Amino acid sequence: MTAAPPPGDGQVGLVIDGREVRVPKGTLLLDAASEVGIHIPIYCAHPKMDPVAVCRMCLVQVEKLPKLQPACATVVSEGMVVDTQSDATAKAREGMLEFLLLNHPLDCPVCDRGGECDLQDFAFRYGPDTSRFPITEKVHFDKAVPLSDKIELDQERCILCWRCVRYYDEITGEKEIVLQQRGVHTAVATFDGQPLRSDYQGNLPEICPVGALTHRQYRFKARPWDLIRTKGVCPECSYGCNVFVDSRDFEVKRFASRDNPMVDDMWLCDRGRYSATSWNSTSRLRRPLVRDAAGGVRDVGVADAVKEAARRLLAVSERGGGEVIGVLGSPDCTNEEAWLLQRLAREVLRTPHIDHQLAEMLRLGPAEHALGIAEIESCTAVVVLGPEPEVNAPVLTLRLHKAATKRGVAVHRVAANAEPRDITARVGDARLVGVVADETNRARAAAVASALAGGGTAVKRMTVTRGGNGRGVKDMGLLPDLAPGYRPAVPAGMGGRAILESATSGSIQALLLLHAGGVLAGLGALVESALRIAKVVVVIDTKPGVLADAATVLIPGHSLMEKQGSVTNLEGRVQRIRAALPPATSVPSELRVLSMLAGALGAEGWGSGDLMEVHRALAADVPAYAAAGNGGRARWEVAAA
Amino acid sequence: MAEYKLLTQHIGADGLQTRAGYERLGGYQGLREVFRRFTPEQFIEQVKLSGLRGRGGAGFPTGTKWSFLPKDVFPRYLCCNADESEPACFKDRYLIDENPHQLIEGVLIAAYALQVHHAFIYIRGEYHDQRLLLERCVEEAGGAGYIGRNILGSGFDCEVIVHGGAGAYICGEETALIDSLEGYRGQPRLKPPFPALKGLYGKPTVVNNVETLSNLPHIVLRGGDWFKGIGTERSTGTRVWCVSGHIERPGCYEMENGRPIRELLEEEAGGVWQGRRLKAFQPGGGSMQVLLPEHLDLPLDMDAVMKAGSSLGAGAMMFMDETTCMVNVSMRLVDFYHHESCGKCVPCREGTYFESDLMHRLEAGTCKPEELATLSDICDNMNGKCFCPLGDTATWFVMSAYQAFREEFEAHCGAGGCPVRGGARTAALVGAS
Amino acid sequence: MTGRVLADDRRVDVALSEQTRVEISRQKERYPSARSAILPALWAVQHELGYLAPAGMEEVARILDLAPSEVQAVATFYSMYFQKPGGRHTVMVCVNVACALRGADDVVAYLERALGCPSGRTTADGMFTWQSTIECLGACGYAPMMQVDHRFYENLTPAKIDAILDRVAGEAGDDGHATMQAVAMPKAPPSVAPPPAEAEGPPSDARMPGTVKGESVPGQKRRRRGRPEGNDL
Ligand SMILES: Cc1cc2nc3c(=O)[nH]c(=O)nc-3n(C[C@H](O)[C@H](O)[C@H](O)COP(=O)(O)O)c2cc1C
Ligand code: SF4
Ligand code: FES
Repeated sequence: MTAAPPPGDGQVGLVIDGREVRVPKGTLLLDAASEVGIHIPIYCAHPKMDPVAVCRMCLVQVEKLPKLQPACATVVSEGMVVDTQSDATAKAREGMLEFLLLNHPLDCPVCDRGGECDLQDFAFRYGPDTSRFPITEKVHFDKAVPLSDKIELDQERCILCWRCVRYYDEITGEKEIVLQQRGVHTAVATFDGQPLRSDYQGNLPEICPVGALTHRQYRFKARPWDLIRTKGVCPECSYGCNVFVDSRDFEVKRFASRDNPMVDDMWLCDRGRYSATSWNSTSRLRRPLVRDAAGGVRDVGVADAVKEAARRLLAVSERGGGEVIGVLGSPDCTNEEAWLLQRLAREVLRTPHIDHQLAEMLRLGPAEHALGIAEIESCTAVVVLGPEPEVNAPVLTLRLHKAATKRGVAVHRVAANAEPRDITARVGDARLVGVVADETNRARAAAVASALAGGGTAVKRMTVTRGGNGRGVKDMGLLPDLAPGYRPAVPAGMGGRAILESATSGSIQALLLLHAGGVLAGLGALVESALRIAKVVVVIDTKPGVLADAATVLIPGHSLMEKQGSVTNLEGRVQRIRAALPPATSVPSELRVLSMLAGALGAEGWGSGDLMEVHRALAADVPAYAAAGNGGRARWEVAAA
Repeated sequence: MAEYKLLTQHIGADGLQTRAGYERLGGYQGLREVFRRFTPEQFIEQVKLSGLRGRGGAGFPTGTKWSFLPKDVFPRYLCCNADESEPACFKDRYLIDENPHQLIEGVLIAAYALQVHHAFIYIRGEYHDQRLLLERCVEEAGGAGYIGRNILGSGFDCEVIVHGGAGAYICGEETALIDSLEGYRGQPRLKPPFPALKGLYGKPTVVNNVETLSNLPHIVLRGGDWFKGIGTERSTGTRVWCVSGHIERPGCYEMENGRPIRELLEEEAGGVWQGRRLKAFQPGGGSMQVLLPEHLDLPLDMDAVMKAGSSLGAGAMMFMDETTCMVNVSMRLVDFYHHESCGKCVPCREGTYFESDLMHRLEAGTCKPEELATLSDICDNMNGKCFCPLGDTATWFVMSAYQAFREEFEAHCGAGGCPVRGGARTAALVGAS
Repeated sequence: MTGRVLADDRRVDVALSEQTRVEISRQKERYPSARSAILPALWAVQHELGYLAPAGMEEVARILDLAPSEVQAVATFYSMYFQKPGGRHTVMVCVNVACALRGADDVVAYLERALGCPSGRTTADGMFTWQSTIECLGACGYAPMMQVDHRFYENLTPAKIDAILDRVAGEAGDDGHATMQAVAMPKAPPSVAPPPAEAEGPPSDARMPGTVKGESVPGQKRRRRGRPEGNDL
């Protein structure tokens, strides 16, 4: 909240445990200590919440002050001399732990948080050896009350650090969990015991420093030390929240938050978090197969499948030219897959008919993605068009709440079809206005932006792309009118819907579908007739379904939990994903399969489809991606809105 | 006998609780005069000059507190602290019951000095009739032009809002009071920022005790210099002492600072009852350390009592005769803090619980001797480590009593019952059992 | 407020009379910020319903534009708000030190016999809920004391206690104090030290303010074990 200090000035020098530290003015003692690697135990302090200093675990000795000071709430000052290891400090810590354990059930062996519980950890490190409390009677609370279908509360384990209460107050603003009663009877609870309804409940067990709030889904599933952690990106929407994919026995057990202050700010939505176990589905395509004209199906090796695909595609294009082939990817593709797919289409198959979705989005441009997620906090005002942006990227709501409550940003939620004039009037004077819209409201967002800009205000737009890598596959040119990096595609081709319609009418004779199962699902008649009428249907996908059933050549693919590559979130942040599970099929990676296919189609110089090789080629083709590296934002020169 | 009676001089006069009755005895002259004689800054100087220190417990110099308000930040707020819940304290209730308009006049004078347009009187929920009385008086005062717009033609506007609490000792702590008044759970706030900078509704705020504010009309009329002449160098003016316990005439007595405590006990309160001997006393309310008969000659002076290891706190003197069991008294006080701990911080919430459990076993005589060391140790783990003074003070009486009456504590261990049996049962209810 | 507030579409059963709701709205106007009216609003609810029923808290939340959870968080913090229904009148006896030194334990023992139930309970006829409280009630100079509903009774003797209980019970049916506003101001303020000799209750025109048609009760749920109430000093 304090403004960034002016460079050169605004640093404060102090000594902690004999070590000199210089930190920006306004830094909390706790953070200054961790700068130099000094660990101070905490329960109530939380990096994303305002200090409350209630647990008193972080008390440290500050020279010249008669009382111990809470490091979590003490702002450093010049010349401060701090001792975090003095006898008084150690005794206070031991004392606090003794107090905390008075009413604790000591049920670590059956606690889900065993192994990742700060109470357990600190009790080992700083705690007293024996209990001196003869316990006439502990204060008893209800054990294991479900707060919803997702979260369970064990009040006896609760140490009243207030984190869950502050989470609902400061982070979501929903105030679902509050403190009730007083003194030793204080308990966290919901109004009249009603269930939680928030869309962000899954964060609770993660902020709880002990085992009071736990996931019902994850209950007794695994001990933390048995889990394998893989850094990943939540595939559920294009917001790109960073996660740890925690797996064990070849199954995803949970998604845990992996704080990226620029994106998720450590919060996940329940839709994303609890989608974790859906990746364990065993209903998968495992072996390539080829279908003959009579409908007979043959199991083949991948090399034969690729060869057969190439032969059939060549057969139709020799007669009708490349333009009889339609190519569809989807937001389920990685950037590398998308880039390679469009290259295969444009350079080898020589068809301009490429897309990743059915909705027609012509002349996309980088201007609609200028506003970064964290940048929302530095806007004067933000206009959100309709509910769709927050429905499709739920964690955005939390960023907007933070911007509004902690940074004083005026957040205007308006109907998607509100008159630009009215919106301008409502926003009034502003230095920088963010305009946030779903990609289906591009046109309205553009109108609003230009109305605002017409009044002389600086405007930046954020477009919420649909689908996990919806933004990345657009950057990669899986579009009928745009090549990678938003360069015009010459000639321009047909979009997704037109491709299917043309397949129905016979002008498209072959379809190459990469991970398109998701975008085509639920389209019913159009897809069915396109698949039925097309002569060649090459499908690379992960799950059984209409596509697999209609494929003339079927090659199993890998799920997002089984592969490496990069994906791009809605603000253009390029983030790596890694394999958390072993592949469900022995078929090589999609990149390799596409490269084999190119080779079989007669193209030269395609290499082996090695990830790094493809990524380097992609970066050379799209310099914004080269600049973004891993984790940075891909930016294009944007003409003023 | 006390020479000076300021706040209580007219108490008992007919109709003092009405505006007309109060005016008849010179009431609201202070308000008239403050507008005429002083700019707000000048009056703050007068208060500084008077040496008036807060009567709410901490004894902070009032004028100095007022001058902490940042210049030019408005609105500002004034809260009169009438939450009075310190054990053995009942002077604020007495001043409200007997002379409510004096308080309202004091509030308005302070509001003028601080340029406050909304003044609150936060009164504890148990003082229901007192709240109604104050509300009626505020209405009366408003009707006479003492409250509202352009008060007495001075151009100064002020509203006075009487706000009732609902049973929580901690709401007497100034930041908890502010949270409670804002409509939150009345729990103390992290300081800094102090209320003077960010208090009620995030604005500069002054919290003053009922008695502190009741002094102001007198300071206006007779000057800071005059006030400074009463009492001692650093404890000026008079105080309304709440005298309770084993004495002949319990009640509120106004007496200037500096007189010996003995005078208060023997001359005003009629001495220890039933001809018994004094065993101990607590000079500042339930939070303060115990003192012994040898301390009776200490002057009623904050610094002198502080030096003797206790504090005059909110001016509540509780006397205990020779039959009193100090373990039982300690246990009741510990129970009080246990009951009133707001639960915000660990050492107070859990510590008072631990303390209380131990004290009950000690009183029942089932405690092991080595647990007395545990008691000291838990108190040490609480004292100075809590979020607000409540948790710290929860240890003060019991620790001082343990030091002064160690044998009595030790005699309780394993005694199977309280070994100190005696005449605490009162005349009042003889025959009841 | 930003964010999607969850409680907004929760409908409440209207539990409060028009009069109480008007009173809450009136309280809201008194403060620079509506939220400050929460304690007076809860008083109004308790005076009508006898305790803070969830539907009443929801109604307060609606009028003051808060989440119901926030109202309950506040309501349960203060010991004078009742979380459960109880007897018609509430009796509180202070047993803090100053009162204990002057016989509060005897009052407790006497009441236990006079009312026929232990502290924290309601009499069989539903007339009284009584409780010994360890919060000092500010009557130390006039100890021992008790509060019946909102009124102080001091310098107690057995005869006085009997008279007070009789009179209060006799008032059943016409206490007429559904809200604070209906409470008449006592003509004389409550007595102060030194104690008056007469053993009567408050002035005869003074009603028991505040409480309640139906029930009111010290509801603060104490999970702490029961304490032996009467220790000798
Ligand atoms: C736990 C606690 C309880 C307090 N209770 C009261 C109280 O009931 N009345 C009061 O005037 N001050 C009380 N105080 C002191 C106030 O915080 C504050 O210092 C005082 O109201 C300031 O007024 P003064 O400067 O006029 O004394 C309490 C302090 C603490 C820590
Ligand atoms: S010391 Fe802690 S728990 Fe006790 S009243 Fe103060 S803040 Fe609340
Ligand atoms: S971490 Fe500092 S008091 Fe809890």
